[in-house]
Amino acid sequence: MNDSQGEPRGGISRRGFLAGTGAATAVAGVTSELAPATAAQPGAAPAHGPGPVLLQLTVNGQKVNTNVEPRVTLLDALRNYLDVTGCKRVCDRGTCGACTVTVNGRTVYSCTMLALEARGMDIRTAENLGGAKLDAVPAAFVDNDAQQCGFCTPGFVVSLRAALDKNPNATPEQVEAALAGNICRCGTYEQMRHAIVQLCKKGG
Amino acid sequence: MAEGWPKKRRILGTKVKRIDGPAKSTGFAKYSYDINRKGMLQGAVLRSPYPHAKIKSLDTTAARKTPGFKGLVIIAPMPLWLVVKAEGDTLEIKSIPNKKKKEKEIRRTVKVTPTVTILRANKIVKLADLKVDDQVQVEVEQDVVGRELFFVGDEILAVAADTEEHAKDVLRAIKIEYQELAFVVSIEEVLKNPDKKTTPGPQPGNITPGKEFFKGQAADLEAAFKNSDATAEGTYGVPVISHQCLETHGLVAEWDAEGGLTVWASTQATINVMNGLAGRFNIPPTKVRCITHYMGGGFGSKFAPYPEGFAAADLARRAGAAVKIMLDREEEITTAGNRPSAIGSVKIAGNKDGSITGFSIDCHGTPGFTGGATVNLGLLPYIYADGIPTFKRIHTVAYTNAGGARAMRAPGHPQNCVLTEFAVDDLAGKLGIDPLIVRRKNLPPNNPKADKISWAGRRNTVYNEQLDLATKLAGWKEKWHPPGKGKAGTVKHGIGMAIHTWGGFAAGGATPNECHVIINKDGSVTAESSTQDLGTAQRTVTAIVTAEILGLQVSDVVVKIGESQYGYSTGSGGSTTCPAQAPATLLAAQNARNELFKKVAPKLNADPKDLVIEPGKVVDTKNKKEWAWKEFCARLGMDEAKGKGEWSLAISNEPGNENISSGQVGGVQIAEVLVDSETGVVRAKHIVAVQDCGLVVNKLACESQVAGGVIMGLNYALFEENILDKVTGRQVNPDMEFYKLGGLGDMPKITVHMMDMPERGVIGIGEPPTISTAAAIGNAVFNALGVRVPFLPLTPKRVLDAIAKGGAK
Ligand code: FES
Ligand code: FES
Repeated sequence: MNDSQGEPRGGISRRGFLAGTGAATAVAGVTSELAPATAAQPGAAPAHGPGPVLLQLTVNGQKVNTNVEPRVTLLDALRNYLDVTGCKRVCDRGTCGACTVTVNGRTVYSCTMLALEARGMDIRTAENLGGAKLDAVPAAFVDNDAQQCGFCTPGFVVSLRAALDKNPNATPEQVEAALAGNICRCGTYEQMRHAIVQLCKKGG
Repeated sequence: MAEGWPKKRRILGTKVKRIDGPAKSTGFAKYSYDINRKGMLQGAVLRSPYPHAKIKSLDTTAARKTPGFKGLVIIAPMPLWLVVKAEGDTLEIKSIPNKKKKEKEIRRTVKVTPTVTILRANKIVKLADLKVDDQVQVEVEQDVVGRELFFVGDEILAVAADTEEHAKDVLRAIKIEYQELAFVVSIEEVLKNPDKKTTPGPQPGNITPGKEFFKGQAADLEAAFKNSDATAEGTYGVPVISHQCLETHGLVAEWDAEGGLTVWASTQATINVMNGLAGRFNIPPTKVRCITHYMGGGFGSKFAPYPEGFAAADLARRAGAAVKIMLDREEEITTAGNRPSAIGSVKIAGNKDGSITGFSIDCHGTPGFTGGATVNLGLLPYIYADGIPTFKRIHTVAYTNAGGARAMRAPGHPQNCVLTEFAVDDLAGKLGIDPLIVRRKNLPPNNPKADKISWAGRRNTVYNEQLDLATKLAGWKEKWHPPGKGKAGTVKHGIGMAIHTWGGFAAGGATPNECHVIINKDGSVTAESSTQDLGTAQRTVTAIVTAEILGLQVSDVVVKIGESQYGYSTGSGGSTTCPAQAPATLLAAQNARNELFKKVAPKLNADPKDLVIEPGKVVDTKNKKEWAWKEFCARLGMDEAKGKGEWSLAISNEPGNENISSGQVGGVQIAEVLVDSETGVVRAKHIVAVQDCGLVVNKLACESQVAGGVIMGLNYALFEENILDKVTGRQVNPDMEFYKLGGLGDMPKITVHMMDMPERGVIGIGEPPTISTAAAIGNAVFNALGVRVPFLPLTPKRVLDAIAKGGAK
């Protein structure tokens, strides 16, 4: 399950924002270092957009910036504007977990968060667990063949890494519960369980 | 006769980790969906919001002025015309009739406005630039008015814009009016009004009536039903379901300055996509490159460019920029294929000794608006057709205003298996005997005339052995109880089984599948093939086979697959990829090795005939000399050693090749379930899958593929169903929250047992293990409750309804 689920976030919600596109949507919770692009009415809360707004993020330890419209999700900002494609777009509405990233250390379905909500935050994707050194979590997936097409795998890997970071002594059952928000179509769950057991033995 | 698989196997059949595993699990692997080209545009498709309608008017003026707009194409084939006259604002063209098809020449005069597009050699041209007899394609936007649309999601046009957000804005700005027409989305309604015509196709109404098929005579069947110890009757059903590929359908298309087209396509068939695009855009296939390095699931639904792929390539040629179109989830579910439903009224008769004496089924199903072929359940009554003395079947195809069917993992078989195996257990219940007895009694016999290593020659023996293994692994003897007679309590325990078969082939068709192995002077080795890895670990298969033959480690081989320019490969369908590609790789590696020996031996005063490969080295058996692999390869000088391997169905059938690859397998699955009789919730506890599989190439991936098949089968059994609203004709669950797929917490323990039969050579295993799971689970629920829950998925409501009708208390 994503940490963010069910908890109100300080910022604008995707749904709320889309509903209010063009109008003076309340964005009071967003603290901005930027001047609002449009001020709808005198006295109304500042609104961004509808045109592109500067977005600064730290992605996998690197400061990056781009310009996106306020309606762009964090997932789409990463994939379409920053070419960070380890987070996959599958359901695009918070059901499958393929887009899971961590935002300031907490797992988030990046399709359910607006990019502007994540301004200035520390984003980590599956790529953060690979490269020169393969993290123990993806390594366990490889060892146990817990992937077929692999399209769901980065999402699982990010969720699992976060669960173990939170509780290095987690039992396999606890880890499984943490992965309840991820779906695999190829059916790699049996092998995933082998991977989880391997990781829990190692203590994360 | 080919040299065949090595007798002593070092790597083949062991557990080998996927070579692309690290890249895939950490998001570095680039799927087609992940391709971002410089200056790339984003496409989106305008679709019918109605299940059946005619386009009344179209106005794209506002859309074309929307910020970010970069192009618009009508989705339709574009024939070539010859220019007759191009003057002022008027273009006169004539068709190029196909003489063989006795087509007549058509002439057309077009007034050229801003919504008329003329293309010559895949480039937009102005009217003034045209000469008489130029070959052109002409798109008149207003031609789309009057077009009939047959389902919600039917493609109309596609647009491109600089961003995805803008592409959606452009779609919203299109003004289009429809005339709504009568439609049918429910199969019952089609059966009630078979003459009502709301779908395309040659059939007069919405139905293709089934022909009655008999084994034996009608009188024999009558007699069987009258004279047997028991008969059982039931109507069972399997709904329409979706492939739900996590990576949706689509591609990125980019044209180069020389008129070549490169696509990054999410496909199971790079060659087919290449040919499809070449045909559509009138260029030679060698000018199209289809790249599929990684692929996020296809399950039978991704064999062609499809409308969205053609549209992306069309937008790209007109815009002079790369264009990406990947479907969204709703489009994926409603337009990119489905597995047809099957609802059958079955009557089955049998005797106390377990023999089935007669079987009849009257079945119907819907593939949506098109795609009848894959609902043809011609094999009924499934496994037992050879064993049962007399049976009858009739199958009716009912067309509805919904997206069309495409092949889905073992087309027809899972439905067929459910309809047959449910009836078998119901019969056993009526006879008061263990269904295992019925299965053993009616297994197809071994064909004494067939080759002993072939499926036909040994199937009875194999099934019996599989039943032994599976019942032991599942604890059948201890756990089976008469239906509904388990321990008292609200949570009922049940165990059930089902068996399956899969035809498959020893290669994918007539054209030889190619693989090329190249040994370089530094000892590095590359294996190339156009085949694609859908998640089957085909990339790793290629490395394993090459490494085995050349005495190397798997990690020593550079595998280049998923690019159409590497020669022919078959589409990944029918579980034929591994049996086609592993032998092609085997031959390529052996030929490269022979070439290497031929080139180097003279330099070492050796005879190529005396050279053999051992792990990491080449040995001269006569002169008792040896060279490390790299040292040996260094003698190539400036040369390289290349080998090509080819494998086709015809080659596999040549005498002496029967040990290299085969088709046809069987399998047995047993499911144990817990059914909460108060909530109706079914939970699978344990599933045993025993699968026959020929020569195992990679045990790790093979087992995970079987487990994956079981899980897909469990999803069919418990969760999946396309639900259409009869009032609007729309699917109410085109998503992932209400179209359910199981998660980790829904999964039973899965025990996979591979029956290794190396003498049969390589056999594909993608489809078979998904066939019998749903039937086994359904039978386990019957065993738990003592009452049949006849329709899948086994939702709490269906379970409670069945209990209310009279089941376990
Ligand atoms: S894509 Fe975000 S949860 Fe599915
Ligand atoms: S590996 Fe294909 S969806 Fe999970």
